[in-house]
Order: sequence, then C-alpha cells, then structure tokens
Amino acid sequence: MTEIEIGRLLRSGTTGFVIGCRVNQLEAPSFGALVRVPLESDYQVFGLIYDIQIEDDGLVRQLITAQDVPEEVLRDNRENRNVPVEIGVLALGYQHGERIFHLLPPRPPLSLDAIYLCTPAEIVRFTGIGRFGYFRHILRDRNKPVEELLAAHLMAARSAHEESGNADWYTQALQELITLMRDDYQGLINVLSAASDI
Amino acid sequence: MMSEQRENNSQNPSGPIGYIVGGGLKANLQARLSVPAQSVQEGAFVVVESGGWLFYGLVTDLQLGSTDPRFADEQTETRLPAQLAGLLHGQTLFTNLEIMTALMMERGPEPGSPEYDAWFQKVMDEQVHPEPVKTVPQHHAEVRLADAGDIAEIFGKEGEKGFFRIGNTIEGGHPVCVNLDKLVQRSSGIFGATGTGKSFLTRVILAGLIKRDKTAVLIFDMHNEYGPDDTASDTGFRVPGLRGKFPAKVRMVGLGAGASIRGNNPDFTLEIAEADITPDDVLMLSQELNLRETTATTLEALRTSFGYDRWFHAFKHMQVNVFEQDEESGKRVPAEGSVADWAEGAGVHPSAAEALHSKLRRLFNAPYIVEKPASNALQQMIENLDNGQHVVLSFGKHETDLDYLFVSNLLTRRIREVWERRTNAFRSGHQGAAEPRPLVIVVEEAHKLLNREMASQTTFSTIAREMRKYYVTLLIIDQRPSQIYDEVMSQLGTRVTGWLGDADDIQAVLTGLAGRDSLRGMLARLQPKEEVLMLGWGVPMPILVRSRRYDDAFWEELQGKSTQRSEREILDELGF
Ligand SMILES: Nc1ncnc2c1ncn2[C@@H]1O[C@H](COP(=O)(O)OP(=O)(O)O)[C@@H](O)[C@H]1O
Ligand SMILES: [Mg+2]
Repeated sequence: MTEIEIGRLLRSGTTGFVIGCRVNQLEAPSFGALVRVPLESDYQVFGLIYDIQIEDDGLVRQLITAQDVPEEVLRDNRENRNVPVEIGVLALGYQHGERIFHLLPPRPPLSLDAIYLCTPAEIVRFTGIGRFGYFRHILRDRNKPVEELLAAHLMAARSAHEESGNADWYTQALQELITLMRDDYQGLINVLSAASDI
Repeated sequence: MMSEQRENNSQNPSGPIGYIVGGGLKANLQARLSVPAQSVQEGAFVVVESGGWLFYGLVTDLQLGSTDPRFADEQTETRLPAQLAGLLHGQTLFTNLEIMTALMMERGPEPGSPEYDAWFQKVMDEQVHPEPVKTVPQHHAEVRLADAGDIAEIFGKEGEKGFFRIGNTIEGGHPVCVNLDKLVQRSSGIFGATGTGKSFLTRVILAGLIKRDKTAVLIFDMHNEYGPDDTASDTGFRVPGLRGKFPAKVRMVGLGAGASIRGNNPDFTLEIAEADITPDDVLMLSQELNLRETTATTLEALRTSFGYDRWFHAFKHMQVNVFEQDEESGKRVPAEGSVADWAEGAGVHPSAAEALHSKLRRLFNAPYIVEKPASNALQQMIENLDNGQHVVLSFGKHETDLDYLFVSNLLTRRIREVWERRTNAFRSGHQGAAEPRPLVIVVEEAHKLLNREMASQTTFSTIAREMRKYYVTLLIIDQRPSQIYDEVMSQLGTRVTGWLGDADDIQAVLTGLAGRDSLRGMLARLQPKEEVLMLGWGVPMPILVRSRRYDDAFWEELQGKSTQRSEREILDELGF
C-alpha cells in the first residue's frame, strides 16, 4: 500500500488543524476525505477535510491585471507559488496503540508533521469502530457546511465499507444521524437531501 | 436497531411488540410499538415483564406520534429516496399503545433454578396468584402479546374446577375460560344488540352449567329457543336444544294444557291455579295492563271480600253491565253477581272496579290460568330442580309480554319463597334441613322484568340485590341494558356483552366498573357478531373474546370426548 502524503502541518489546535501543501500536491486531497497525522510510533490523529483555500498573493493579482502574459509564466506562477494551499481539517479522533477513540486528540499535531490520506482500509477501520461517535465533532460546528461534509464523507466511506463487504454500514450511519439530529428538523432534512444526491 | 427488532418479530410471533415509555396507574400505560401498527389491535391482551413481575393488560388505544410534528406533516417520502424516507420514518414516526393494566403477578425464578421447586409448590398451593395492579412496570420494560399460557394463568385452564371455555382471544385465538362457579355466585348478564349472538352464547353457557351440574337451572324460554331443537333464522342450520342433548337432565315444561313446543310434546305442562294469584301479581302488571291508581284499593277490597284463594276466581266470574229491578224501590240497580253490585257492597267505586275487571280480561281469558290444574306442575318443577335436573319453561304460543311477565314473576316469587324457607331452615340448623341446591334463573328480555318501574315490585330485582343469600341468582339476557334499573345492573357480577349501538346501553353495561372510559370505545367497536367483551366481578379482568361456536363440534367436545380427555389427563399426570 502506498502512503499518500498530502502536505505538512501549518497550524493546529484541539478541534482541528490546517495543512499546507503545494499546488501540485493538490490532486490527492478532496473535500470530505479522511486524513491522518502520525505523531509517534503508537499515536496518530484522524481528521476530515472540510475546507480547501487557495489564497492570493501580490504576484497573482498583478498577473491577472497584466495583458499578454505568456502561458509558461502563468503555469509557473500557478505551480511554484510562495503561498501554500491551505487545507482545513476537523479533528475526529485518534489512535493510541491498537485502540481507536472517537474523542478529541489529547495533543494536537505539531508544525510540519506530515499528513497522509487514509486508505480505504483505514477508513473502514476508523469509521467502523464503536457507534459513530465522531459524528459529534462534525455536527458541533454548524458554521461549516455540515450537510455537504457529511454527504461527501458518507459517499467515500460507504464505498470503502461496501468494498470490504459491509453493506449495512451506510444504513446504520444514516440511522445514527437521524437519531442525533431528529430534534433539528431542518438540519436533518438538509443532511438527508444532500445524502439523497450521492 | 429498530430494523433488527422488526426482523426478530416477524420471525418470532411471541417476541416483544414494544416497550413502555410512560403512563401510570391512573392514566393507562404508554408503550412504543416496535412492530407495524396493523399487527396489534385494540383489545389485544398484552403482558409486560418488569422487575420480577408480570403485568397483564388490554390495549385500549393506538396513537400515531412523531418526534416533531413536522416529520408527520411533511410527506418526506415524496422528497427523499425510499430507503432514506424509510429510515427517517422509522425513527421519527411511531405508534404508541395505550395499555390498561389490570393484574400483576410474581414471575418466579427460572425453571430449573434451585429456587424453582419451592416456587412451583407455592403456585400449586395457590399462594401465588394474579392480584390487582398496585405498581407500574419500569421504563422500557418489554411488552408482548399474551400467549395461551398467560391467558390460562389469568382465566383458568379449561376443564379444571369449573373453568369452561367461552371463546378465544381475538388475536392469538387462545382459549378463554369463564369460572362457572363464580358466574352463578352472583347474578350475571349477557348483553348485546339483537343478532349479536346472545342466545347462542347463552346456549353455550347453559350447556356448560348443566354439564358442570353444580347448580340447578331454570330457564324462562319466552321464544322457545333453549329447550327444543331450533333452526337458525339467518343460516337455516339446525340448532340443537338442551332437552335433546341432555335427555335425562333437562325437563321441558310447556305453558298451558296440551302445549306443543315446536312440534314436540313437553315433559309436562304448567297451568296456574287461580288460587295462586295474589293481588301483587296483578299490580306488577300495572304498566302492561295500563292499570289505574285505584287498582291497589280495589284489589285489596277483593281480597278482603273473598280471601287470597278465591278473589281471582270470584272477580273473574262477576258480570258486568247487568241490571235488575229493585223489588222495593223499583229502581234499576246492578244485578246480583255483577261487579258493580259487589263494589257497592265493598265500598269501592263501581266504575273503578268495572275498569279493572275489563283490564283483567286478558288474564281471565288466559287459557293457562285455571281453577284446578290437572297436576301440581309447580311442585313438579321444584322437585325436578331438587333432583339435579334443570327446567326449561317454554312459553309455546303464549309469547306476549303479558304472559311472560305474569308467569315468570309468579313462578319466581313462589320458587324463591321455597328457597328462602329452606335456606332459613338450613342456616338455623333444623334437623335434616339440607343445604339448598343453588339455582340460576335464566330470563331473556330482562328489561321487561327489571326496568325502573318494575324493579321495586318484582322478585327478580330482589334476587339480583340479595346476591346469593338464598341460593338463587339470575342470568339475564337483554338487548337494552339501559332500560334495566341501574341498581340491578350494578349488582351484576359477570357481564358478557356483544356489540351495542346505543351510548346509553354501553354506559349501562359498564355501570360501576373501573376503567369505563377505556372500555367504552372498545365496546362500541366490537364486531357485530360473535365477539364479546367479558368483564365484571366474576372475571379476573376485562377481555375481548371471540365467542365459542355453538355447533356439532361444540357438543362433541362437551359430551363425546370424555374418554379421550381422561386419557390425556392420565398422560399429563405421567408427565408426557
Ligand atoms: N356462538 C355462535 N355460534 C354459532 N353461531 C352464532 C354464534 N353466535 C351467533 N351466531 C349466529 O348469529 C345469529 C344471531 O345470534 P343470536 O344468538 O340469535 O343473536 P341474539 O340472541 O343476540 O339476537 C345466529 O342465528 C347464528 O347464526
Ligand atoms: Mg336472542
């Protein structure tokens, strides 16, 4: 299995962190993808990508207003920027030894730690344990596009589980979401509408 | 989780159907249904297991609910894919059961555990039995439909000590028994609109009572339904009568000389001696004969003039509108032997006496009232009842209300007097005074005898009120219970009622019972035929019953299979 490194840690806190990466690394990470940050040999933090930001810099502004910029210059400026792409990650849990916890990590990752995309097997492992405790962290911050995030996550995780032979996972996940959100009619309907598009 | 439960249930019918979510002793319990709503119906008999106790109750309502009204209001199935809509509805829409608990019983240790033997002994010694509910099950205690064992635990096992199967539960079809001994310990009633199966169910119960043979039964068979074989008016099937099925046990008595009951000769006929008729017997007919207020005075004068034995005969043979010339004054005066003549002499207003005479003409003309009956049929009936036999008095062609009121009241008064004398002799320890044989008197159209106006006068209401003091109770059958005097209704121990259309009738049947509100709706929604609600003092708790069918199979079970049953009993004893 090849490990896909998607970048290194820029900033972090208990509830989440931001990864920086080069534009040419941006093929791999996607909205709703599950990532992990190995910290020590027996400790790694898991998170969900909820935001990908590409900031401007002075040069980009100039290039956009300038006329007749050659194609190579444009490409060069796109790929070799000074400002990294910023990827926001929501902390969902951690692994300590063999055990996976859907609790916030005791210690956040440190600057420049390498971040990897989870493989389908890792997705199955992290999301299949316990009773969807990590949904708490996703639902906590309603300023994020929660419905879309859940839909993207469910889509990715469903196919990982189905490949591993567990067709029920998706149903159970939806059931848990309905239980958690049934007091929030509009929120729940939004999540289910998003889910019905996947 | 929810769907797991659903699957379990479809595989295992005795599995849980829900769990307790609220309620209490005063209000009913609430349970969340975990199976499709249509698999449970109102009236279902359910068991709740909680903390070492079994609670027994009836489903009295099913209510649709939602965690948020918007989930119920929005037709989300049109917006979401079927799978998502299904999951959403599974968790936000639900059905609640309302359960009226009535009894609870200790559950006891698991069979096979060390304590079980001691426990089982207690059960056998009847130290453990269902008792009225005094507490509630815990939250989330499981609710399941009662099985045959639960029903037998509460209502008794068929064939044991007077337990007689009266029908089956609607849902599981489990046998439901009535305790015949308790049924006749107080007066009981069978109710239901016309055509709901009262007469058929009465036949079933009477057959059970006669077979049990602990009680003498006297049936006033106004419509000739119980003694002779009959034909069902709706199906045209032959309906066997009790006389043919118990030839040695049941005597059929016809009213009036030469009576023939549906082409059968009765065992003997009953004629009523004029001397047996008291002024009270006539007063009781006030309504029916439209008697005036002066009647009591006139009757009293008749009794004074002629005595208890002769007054009826003398009055009957007086003439009306006959006059003669007074020898002295030459005036036209009432002839001797006329009503007016007697009235003048007795100080009664002649027109009152004449009016009474004319109104009693229906009695004077009744062919079964004679001066000297050929035999003492009343005495014969009493002897039959003493000798372990049962008597059906068939009214034959004398089917008017007047015949029924007059004859049944008179006979009941006389018979109860006999039973009262015997009871007093027995109680005071007279030499050789035997305990009277308990007697049940069966009356159809009971409201005619027990309505508010009659209630103060008839022996029937006395019997209903005094319970079993003198070893006589009633089994009344009626389609208009609201017309029965409520004091009588409230004395009825066991009540078995089919569908009733009238709110007053429903109200009347529930007089004096706990849980009326819950039972009212259940009663109004009974099937129009062969479904009854059994309730009252004589049954452990109310229950919906599909009536036992009265057909050839019934008789075979009751009479034909006695050898097979004892075989089974032997096997049971041997532990097979
Ligand atoms: N237990 C029963 N067994 C068989 N048939 C029944 C039973 N109960 C009711 N029926 C049917 O319903 C009809 C009406 O019942 P019946 O007892 O005459 O009603 P009711 O006396 O209440 O007017 C009967 O003719 C019979 O066909
Ligand atoms: Mg009838």
